[in-house]
Amino acid sequence: MIELAHVSKRFGDEAAVDDISLHVPKGKFCALVGTSGCGKSTTLRMINRLIEHSEGDIILDGQAIEAYDPVKLRRRIGYVIQHTGLFPHWTVARNIGLVPRLLKWSAAEVQARVEELMNLLGLSEGEFGHKYPHQLSGGQAQRVGVARALAADPDILLMDEPFGALDPITREKLQDELARIQAKMHKTVVFVTHDMDEALKLADHLVVMRAGRIVQQGSPLALLQHPIDPFVESLLGGLERGLKQASLTRVKDHMTSMGQALPAQSRIPADFSLRQALSMMLRDHCDRLTVVDSHDVPVGELSLRRIIKEAQLDKGSVRE
Amino acid sequence: MSLLDALPTPRLGWEGRRPNGVLLSLSVVMLAAFWLFDVVSMAPNRIVAGTGYGALEAFGWPGALLATLLLSAIGIFAWQPSVRHYRALLASLVILLALMPLGLMASSYLLIDPALPQARLGLGAAYWVVLFLLLLCLIEARLRLKLSRLLPTLLLTGVALIWWLCAALWLDNLALVQEFRARDEQFVRAIGQHITLVSIAVSISVIVGTLLAMLMRRYSRLQKVAFALLNFLQTIPSIALFGLLLGPLAWLAANVPFLAQLGVSGIGTAPALIALITYSLLPMVRNTYIALEEVSPATLEAAKGMGMRSGQRFWQVRLPLALPVLLEGVRITTVQAIGLTAVAALIGAGGLGTFIFQGLGQAAMDMVLLGALPILMLALVVDAGLGALAEALRPGGMQ
Repeated sequence: MIELAHVSKRFGDEAAVDDISLHVPKGKFCALVGTSGCGKSTTLRMINRLIEHSEGDIILDGQAIEAYDPVKLRRRIGYVIQHTGLFPHWTVARNIGLVPRLLKWSAAEVQARVEELMNLLGLSEGEFGHKYPHQLSGGQAQRVGVARALAADPDILLMDEPFGALDPITREKLQDELARIQAKMHKTVVFVTHDMDEALKLADHLVVMRAGRIVQQGSPLALLQHPIDPFVESLLGGLERGLKQASLTRVKDHMTSMGQALPAQSRIPADFSLRQALSMMLRDHCDRLTVVDSHDVPVGELSLRRIIKEAQLDKGSVRE
Repeated sequence: MSLLDALPTPRLGWEGRRPNGVLLSLSVVMLAAFWLFDVVSMAPNRIVAGTGYGALEAFGWPGALLATLLLSAIGIFAWQPSVRHYRALLASLVILLALMPLGLMASSYLLIDPALPQARLGLGAAYWVVLFLLLLCLIEARLRLKLSRLLPTLLLTGVALIWWLCAALWLDNLALVQEFRARDEQFVRAIGQHITLVSIAVSISVIVGTLLAMLMRRYSRLQKVAFALLNFLQTIPSIALFGLLLGPLAWLAANVPFLAQLGVSGIGTAPALIALITYSLLPMVRNTYIALEEVSPATLEAAKGMGMRSGQRFWQVRLPLALPVLLEGVRITTVQAIGLTAVAALIGAGGLGTFIFQGLGQAAMDMVLLGALPILMLALVVDAGLGALAEALRPGGMQ
């Protein structure tokens, strides 16, 4: 659990972070979003004391971070940065095993852990273990960066624009992997990004920052439904907001049991997003879809009219 | 096209088909020098000035023809370059280098009257020009063929062995050999002194330089002052520095018995070492400082964020990553010190410079060469060795 209460950071007279309060419950994924220079990175780096905060309290697992030895504190927090920060003179395996070695694990334990993590991130130990960072593609290098951060099994993971330098396809793939790993491991994650789609896709809790202050925070759906001001609205995509909201909503939350009318021609799996359903309706020129389960057996029906009515009632369910 | 242009060309592409201008012109210049200048000179004894001889007289027509053919071959192969032609060219170069001492044997057979045991053979302008240009050709061929430093070094070692063998066994008449024979013990001692002076000076400046660079990183005020001072010291001519050290050191030796016991005096090893270290500090400190500062901040930030202590960050991350640039500093410093140590002979510190200054005094150029050539060889060997080491230490074999 991470708790920030009225935290500020001043560099001289300039306040990089100005009186922010934030609560990330254990196992939740919190994304800090904002334009560059808004203080989101500074906020992140105050948590592992790479930057010391000037005012307020940062509390980790019930204890103020000043009470921890900074080195020991950092060893129990996973840290991923944009340009991986891998050590160019170490092999992939040695890079991943860094924190366990710092924690004086035995060689065999380190080796086993490295293999486990490389498997988790889809890197074959035999193929990549002995390579050096400059021999990897951007995506592979960032997988290694994530593996290194997870190596000592920290409860907390800080990620500073980890996928910012990757091409869109690789970025999306790694986002999916991260979501998969998070669903399995339930780390407490603080994730900094300027990419709102990335934040909407991954976060349980969204924090929008501007000029060192928090403008708005809440669940992604809550923000999409009620952006507090034009700035947040434009960050959330302006006119695209409706579709972004739809992409956070599952088909099964809006389907009804099969009606009297003939089943619709087009079929959609129940765990697809509403956005995909709308896209399918546009493509197939229809206003009804048959919802199927994972075995392609019809389980219900989705109608455009009903979706719109429910959107008016503002009843979308919050994801997870 | 120049030697440096050759560096970034990754493969022998379409432009490989065009004549290699560098090798072509080198070949033409070598042929011209070979036929226009004196190849060797012969003197009946050490005092008389020698008479020059051209290629035909020196090598006889078979030798001259063979040399001409091999030198032209370089031009012909360079006219239509391909990997095969470059290899053939490399072979011609090595054969030529290996044949050069044999040519001298031919000259001594053809030109020297056995009745004159004092007669001596000197190397002429053509000989030096061809030797120097052949080495340039070797560098160019190495770059074109993308060979590592190792293979040409091995080839040159083989060639050097042949040279040494010829000089030791058959080339009694060569002036250089005679100069060496006359003072072989002195020569070995001088090389020993030279290497010792350089090693001590470089070791001390590596230690002091590294410490100074680390202090400069901590105290930024020191950085400006120290660089200004070191830059200033670098501008003092070496002979002037020896003069400046003479007085204070002589005074110290006279007034502090302990230092006098250590061998400190106005002339000799002590001022030589002080001057060498003074000159070595700037390149050493500058490279060490830059090497340590250049390490990517993102990498160091990651090291800190992972929970490495500051000592661990320095020894495991900063220093290993700085090492190639740092070694580059050691290389520059050492090569510079090898040259500077020659001047130290002036104040009686010994070393190979002794021969250079004695030879200059006696107008005996061969004796100057006896001092200058080993200095050149030492510098080349150190340069190649430390260069290869720095390359090998690049992170993960990165180029």
